[in-house]
Amino acid sequence: MSEYALEVEGLVKEYRRRDPPLLRAVDGLSFRVHRGCLFGLLGPNGAGKTTTLKILTTLLRPTAGRAAVLGYDVLHQPLEVRRRIAVVLQETAVDLFLSVRDNLLSYARFHGLDRYEARRRTARVLEQFHLLEVASHKAMDLSGGLRRRVQVAKVFLVDTPVVFLDEFSTGMDPLLKREVMDRLRKEAARGRTVVLTTQILSEAEELCDDILILHRGRSVARGDLNTLKLLSKDVYELSLTFAVLPAGIREELEQLAPVRLAIRNNSVEIALRAEESRVLELARALARRAQLLHLEVRGASLEDIFIELTRSAGGPPPEAPSV
Amino acid sequence: MSTTAAFTAVLYREAKVRATNLTFLFWDLFHPLAYLLLFGVGINAALGLRLPLPGLDYHAFFLAGVLSMASFGIAANTAWSFFLDRDNGIFYEMLTYPMRRAEYLAAKVLFNLGVAVAQAAITVGFAWGLLGVRPRLVGVPLLVAALVVGTAGWFYFYAIFALRIRRNDVFNTVTSVFYFLFLFASSMFYPLEPLPAAFRAVALANPITWQTDVLRYATVGLGELRTVVLELLALLAFTGASFWCAVRSLQREG
Repeated sequence: MSEYALEVEGLVKEYRRRDPPLLRAVDGLSFRVHRGCLFGLLGPNGAGKTTTLKILTTLLRPTAGRAAVLGYDVLHQPLEVRRRIAVVLQETAVDLFLSVRDNLLSYARFHGLDRYEARRRTARVLEQFHLLEVASHKAMDLSGGLRRRVQVAKVFLVDTPVVFLDEFSTGMDPLLKREVMDRLRKEAARGRTVVLTTQILSEAEELCDDILILHRGRSVARGDLNTLKLLSKDVYELSLTFAVLPAGIREELEQLAPVRLAIRNNSVEIALRAEESRVLELARALARRAQLLHLEVRGASLEDIFIELTRSAGGPPPEAPSV
Repeated sequence: MSTTAAFTAVLYREAKVRATNLTFLFWDLFHPLAYLLLFGVGINAALGLRLPLPGLDYHAFFLAGVLSMASFGIAANTAWSFFLDRDNGIFYEMLTYPMRRAEYLAAKVLFNLGVAVAQAAITVGFAWGLLGVRPRLVGVPLLVAALVVGTAGWFYFYAIFALRIRRNDVFNTVTSVFYFLFLFASSMFYPLEPLPAAFRAVALANPITWQTDVLRYATVGLGELRTVVLELLALLAFTGASFWCAVRSLQREG
């Protein structure tokens, strides 16, 4: 059996559309992921994350290249792949006409659990995901957030060695999101490989021990957070809060061609590529402009790295990712 | 997961959906009977159609029509649920479950066949008990064959459109047109002989007519065996072609 959970080589996926005539969503992508890893596929809208995930979960056929899960080829051994994966899709996928409990029981049956084991695990997951109160409610009567909770809860019913989550936290409240992230870490510690796609950089920063940044279907960077930070070692992030925001500061800072600039109320966050001494000099200069309540200089965050890398990969800058 | 386990899981899900939604139970099991008792009795009393067999009243004539309607209706309902499943994403999630696409389709068909046979038994039973329509026992195997082949055929036929059409309004329009066209341009409600030639030509090319004629021969003995055999073969070909197209459509999905 392969030592890798995922192996992707020269993967290409093209969609034939009228306008534009040919869309290359994945463009010669290659990567490998070790077992038991929390792996993040990161990228702006249209980067190819979901397409890659759909190929890996046997939902889409690649145009060219090869993809394998635990050594099983997604094109030629799809059933073997499906036996080893649990998937949370981007779309909220629940059985609308079934109750929450029956949604879970049905999922368990599809994954080969016997009646007793399905009931035992369903009871556990209902409690873990705070779904006991709505267990008898039909999914169609639930809010979008609760439906999402049911969908994510399903993957914790089964022991498949690989779990795919496509933007799993969409519509999820912050407390539950944190709980799910803790559970995902535990699952990875037990040896399950967790593959997630996200645009929410703080999620990847906190959760993933291996990150691949995609842009226009291509890999632009790969590694753990520290490795990625090294890729943009001259990027610094400056965070300031003024008592009163100095007039014309936005125009001034924009002239520095920052990687990222955000001004909200009296607070300024700027990330820029420069030598450390120059950044400190800028901080001192800004401090002289108005009374400062807070000042912090940090190394680049994943968000800065992401913007920097996707921008340098060509084309217009990506849509602002969520943090 | 074995094929048996995959079938069991699909059947479990389908049964759960039906058993916990009473309206589905009505549409799946009692809708044709309601049609027979209301429409059939009404037409019989009001118009008193003259039919080609002596002693054959409209109830008896229409029984085969409602059985065809059952096949067609079950398939339409399943296609609608297919569409809904795809619209809310569960369909795609199910395609990542440990089963083959063919197993998924076959298990869904199997469930529909079970419903069709149950529905036919209820309808025939009530027609016998309430309206005195006594079906021919010798025709039961043919009745079951026509129900099975027809229901599978209509299921696959509808699945093609449920899998290919993306928009809800388009899907609703298509199914409404199908309902109108296939049911009324057929021998379901009336004999074809008195119809205008063009109308009759369209009806003769309609698989609902083939199925209804076979069922009519099976239930009350109306029709010629040679024609019925040809129509059953045509229905088989229709089912085979629809299956091929449905599998192609499902493969395009993933």
